[in-house]
Amino acid sequence: MDSLVTFLRLTLLSMVPFVLAAQGTMLGGRTGVFNVAQEGIMLVGASLGFIGSYLAGGSTLVGIAAAVLVGGIFGLALAYFTTTLKMNQFVIGLSLLFIGTGLSTLIPKLVIGVTLSQPLIPTLQDLPIPLLSQIPFLGTVLFSHNILVYFAIVLSIGLWYFLFRTQLGLELRSVGENPNAADSLGINTSKHRYVTAILGGMLIGLAGAYLPMVYTGTFTEGMVKGRGWLTIALTFFAGWSPLPVLYGSLFFAGIEVASYRFQAGGIAIPYQYLLMVPYLATILVMMFTFRKTRVPGFLGNNYDREKRSL
Amino acid sequence: MTIVRKLVPYLIAIIASFAAAGIFIALTGANVFQAYETILFTSFRTPNGFVQTLLKFIPLTLQALAFTIPLTAGKFNMGGEGQMIVGAIAASVVGILGADLPAVILLPLVVLAGVAAGAIWGFIPAWLLYKFNINEILTSMLLNFVSFQIIDLVATGSLRDPVAGHPTTVQIGQGGFLPMLINNPPLNTGLILALLVAAGVYLYTTRTTGGYELVATGANPRAASVFGINVKRMFVFSIVLAGAIAGLSGVIEVAGVQHRLIVGLQHNFLVLGVIIALISRGNNLAVPFVAFFIAILEIGASAMQRTMNVPIEMVFIVEALVLLFVLLSDVVRRR
Repeated sequence: MDSLVTFLRLTLLSMVPFVLAAQGTMLGGRTGVFNVAQEGIMLVGASLGFIGSYLAGGSTLVGIAAAVLVGGIFGLALAYFTTTLKMNQFVIGLSLLFIGTGLSTLIPKLVIGVTLSQPLIPTLQDLPIPLLSQIPFLGTVLFSHNILVYFAIVLSIGLWYFLFRTQLGLELRSVGENPNAADSLGINTSKHRYVTAILGGMLIGLAGAYLPMVYTGTFTEGMVKGRGWLTIALTFFAGWSPLPVLYGSLFFAGIEVASYRFQAGGIAIPYQYLLMVPYLATILVMMFTFRKTRVPGFLGNNYDREKRSL
Repeated sequence: MTIVRKLVPYLIAIIASFAAAGIFIALTGANVFQAYETILFTSFRTPNGFVQTLLKFIPLTLQALAFTIPLTAGKFNMGGEGQMIVGAIAASVVGILGADLPAVILLPLVVLAGVAAGAIWGFIPAWLLYKFNINEILTSMLLNFVSFQIIDLVATGSLRDPVAGHPTTVQIGQGGFLPMLINNPPLNTGLILALLVAAGVYLYTTRTTGGYELVATGANPRAASVFGINVKRMFVFSIVLAGAIAGLSGVIEVAGVQHRLIVGLQHNFLVLGVIIALISRGNNLAVPFVAFFIAILEIGASAMQRTMNVPIEMVFIVEALVLLFVLLSDVVRRR
């Protein structure tokens, strides 16, 4: 029972980077901007989140602000190159991925220098919700987490409401389905694409900052470990919808936690096999779900109103 | 005249990205012009520097080709790194287990094993694309992470060299070494293999029917399939061929340079390969030249890190910026 509580608690804790990054990806995709730079943006978010917090004397808030800001800048760059300059989204995404990866190791070296052991920043505090956290079982699993866990859940529900229950959400989705039709109704397609790409970048940057701020307390090279790529897979088989993204993240986090706990449990399998599991499981799930999922009609394309429609 | 005009955007891109990197270098307090000099000329100062550059050039060219071939058919192979790793693993396992075999037998076996392993690793995403229509970018990338664990498993398993501090296997049999072109500084015949592959890929895509079908598939899949080209089979073929070439780059690292399997042998080769391929705009003829330029930058950057304490990542930013500026020049030309 105790181990079940720990498992569920850790799953909720590890769900956050997946939720934030996938919601960011989903949001951009809903207007047709397909971001593939997650891995790079998360790395640079992790790096700057750590550096920001370190320079501000351990202030989590400054770290988070730095990560969100840099994520937003990457989102803005993506939007500018693809929406305004109409360049290939995948190629631009890759370029941003490389720049993000490079900056993530460069910045700590410039600011802190090369040291044997990186300095540590304080990790995020748990904020148990009064009363609710007293409930046996559920209280520990659901209601005594750091603030970003609550934020991830509220964000997912909020995004669902916004996209599927408001006028603006409908307009936004129409840009990703058929920008020609949206444009003819007077919807500003470029503005929607810019806003979602920037907000999406911010969420992905924040997802990166979660890693040093909750897991390790420091930045290490390549610490995102493919989570950015897993996020893209997750967004696809969640059908680009906020609530399935939330459930899907639980699944990913569950696999991640399980593979680490087996390792710690001293089971006689070499740990390398366990570390392969998340990637192999993802490929396996894609085999069964990829065909059925629904994808925004204009995903990955750039809209040019001066060209004839596709 | 046309070639000059074609080179202009590249020159502007290089100058602009060096200028941008100069700002960063100045921030570290280092002498900017000395840094530029180190980056650009280390390769040509000593014979050793030049050979080091060539040794970088080999895997970079092969990795870039492993990206451009599927790109010709309109597909993205992000698995070059994993394909290289499994190629290296297969080459070293065969090389160690068959250590007593004579070179006539062992060397071809080592090369074939590595190339086949790379091709198989490329076949997985290709098959998933063919059969289930799963985006090949994702699957080929995810398989890289799987290969990181496999190499760790092999290098820390029963073939491990107990003396080495870093996870490394024991040496492969002498018969599995690639012959040397020059002994000191050491340059192996992998260079010739890489140049042959580059020439072969160029001739294949420009002078043969099969290559033309590949180009047609990439240019307009629907039109190609109307004219009787099996488009999906071209996708599979292009990614498998790319895997084989990436596998060869792993073989050369093992049989030509290290003579053993070392965890982390893939360095940054995937990313650099993709950058080279995209700077070349998918043009197979341009790939070796761009790869040589990037090799110069890489060798110069490690010298800069050693002698001037400027982090090596600086040059990575330069490379990514060159790519971005080259891409931007397309936009400028369109106007």
